[in-house]
Amino acid sequence: MASVKLTDVKKVYDNKVTAVHDFNLDIKDKEFVVFVGPSGCGKSTTLRMIAGLEDISGGTLEIDGEVVNDLQPKDRDIAMVFQNYALYPHMTVYDNIAFSLRLKKVPEDEVYERVTNAANILGITEYLTRKPRALSGGQRQRVAIGRAMVRNAKVFLMDEPLSNLDAKLRNQMRAEIILLRQKLDTTFIYVTHDQTEAMTLGDRIVIMRDGFIEQVGTPQEVFDTPVNLFVAGFIGSPQMNFLRANLVKGGSAYYVELLDVKLPLNDEQNAVLAQKGIGSREIILGVRPEHTTVLFDRSEGAIECSIDVNEMMGSELHLHLRSRNDDRIIVRLPTVDLTKEQRASLSYGNKMYITFPAKVMHLFDPETEKSLIDG
Amino acid sequence: MSEATAKRHMGLKTSRAISNTAIHILLIVISIIWLIPFVCIVLQSFRVENTGPVGYVVPKVWGTDNYVRLFQTDFPRWYTNTFICALATAVLQTIIVLCMSYTLSRFRFKMRQPLMRFMLILGMFPGMLSMIILYRVLKDLGLTQANAVPGLILVYVASSGMGYYVSKGFFDTIPMSLDEAARVDGATRAKILYKIILPLSKPIVIYTILTAFMGPWGDYVFARYIAFGTSAGKNVAVGLYDWLNKDQISNCYTMFCAGGVLVALPVTILFLFLQKYYVEGVTGGAVKG
Repeated sequence: MASVKLTDVKKVYDNKVTAVHDFNLDIKDKEFVVFVGPSGCGKSTTLRMIAGLEDISGGTLEIDGEVVNDLQPKDRDIAMVFQNYALYPHMTVYDNIAFSLRLKKVPEDEVYERVTNAANILGITEYLTRKPRALSGGQRQRVAIGRAMVRNAKVFLMDEPLSNLDAKLRNQMRAEIILLRQKLDTTFIYVTHDQTEAMTLGDRIVIMRDGFIEQVGTPQEVFDTPVNLFVAGFIGSPQMNFLRANLVKGGSAYYVELLDVKLPLNDEQNAVLAQKGIGSREIILGVRPEHTTVLFDRSEGAIECSIDVNEMMGSELHLHLRSRNDDRIIVRLPTVDLTKEQRASLSYGNKMYITFPAKVMHLFDPETEKSLIDG
Repeated sequence: MSEATAKRHMGLKTSRAISNTAIHILLIVISIIWLIPFVCIVLQSFRVENTGPVGYVVPKVWGTDNYVRLFQTDFPRWYTNTFICALATAVLQTIIVLCMSYTLSRFRFKMRQPLMRFMLILGMFPGMLSMIILYRVLKDLGLTQANAVPGLILVYVASSGMGYYVSKGFFDTIPMSLDEAARVDGATRAKILYKIILPLSKPIVIYTILTAFMGPWGDYVFARYIAFGTSAGKNVAVGLYDWLNKDQISNCYTMFCAGGVLVALPVTILFLFLQKYYVEGVTGGAVKG
């Protein structure tokens, strides 16, 4: 069993700066939880408090039901992979991986067995006699993972382990981490600033900003039902489009008025808004680029935009559009079925028209930034 | 290449050659000036035609009598005293300096900054100011004259923690994440220092040992007023200097030179073998200060 429970955990530094505010989270045994957020949001600080590398200023941290606030890292039965690998430069790969076992006075034959076993799983057997400086970035990262693996710890902590790797290697290592997770079958807590890593790796994602938890949910939940503007804009690539609009209550149904186009909401959305007693008001309308349909000709209910920038991504184009009230919109346009004339018309200033169904519309309060439907 | 460009390149080459030559001449002159006293001492130590100071440098009759006579005086006793002082100081001071530097580099505690500032200010006062009170304390403890060796070791080691700057600067260049990884792996702070930090700090350890050894090895001032009166407690600096008084100089001058050569030998050999680490240690610690 390796559950982790954080209750009102906070971190306040000596200069009175609060890095983490009242963090509450229950991580189940064998769950893969990802802390994600922009730089300075407190995700690494929280991870380091779990590891015991930072003191906890308030609240309690429990691992398997035991309060561990005052325990040293070595007594918490955790293993950690660092962003910069933190391999011991003067030791060989074998000695790096064996270090923790030798500290525990594990017999040398058992050390050999566990180290070689980990090396086989990670594909680094041939590097065991090398020193870290003779390894590439990906190899070093595998050694760092191997060093953590051999400890058979209850909780596996990873602090942005892929951020020092190039894009291609990052994709490859992400897949290897997924395989590793299946092999190790233990609780993982993973920190990243990359929302793609968070979405692909996590059972649950904890999105943080400025020391606060903004939302906790599965990747699908945070993608489909973001509770505020920040989460909506952080998750998804390209970022969700935000448009200034008006929510109008017409009798028992609501519609969104955007420029001169009326966009009716569906029954579910109407019910939630009615139940919350929300009246007509200004809103920020959020729509993801992948949920937006692009038309080359004017159509009923389509919003007129003009092209600013056209980014060729290979199988699709990312069009940066501008609405008549100067809101910027990004849309994705697959290139496979485009005609020559259509391709030729994708230049600066030309008109395009966008539509989207009600179910993909997200409504946010401009002042509180909270979702009117999913909050 | 055009003629003008070629001319410009030739001009640059010539001026660089001229300035290099001038710099080398200057350095050679400075080296000669710097080496002259050492060469004189070595040459005089092999002079056997007379034993007092003379107006020429190169001996007329060469021999090793001065070295033989050295070992018939208390010189071996002084040499042993100096060696024991220097060795004990080197060991103790190295331990204290490295532990102090590691603590100030790695630990964060309230009094850390005030302590470093206090030591910086305290270090600006010359050590000579404490001579009188140190003498009184050591006399009361019975650690002067014949018992000067332990007294001197105490004096040399006592304030060694204040010499943490270069070592701390070196340790600051070692990423903290190594310590953290070792803590997660199960190492105590002492084990981290011993198994992780020190193996990565060979240059600074050697530099610290060398500087800790050299201080007492060549010390005259503190040894003069603590180890006086009896020959048993003297170090080589005090013992050799006593031979230069007007009563003994005519008999002991060449022995003095021979003693000087023997004093310089160990440190010279140490530096010859360890100078690479010494330079790395000084510059490594200087990067972040």
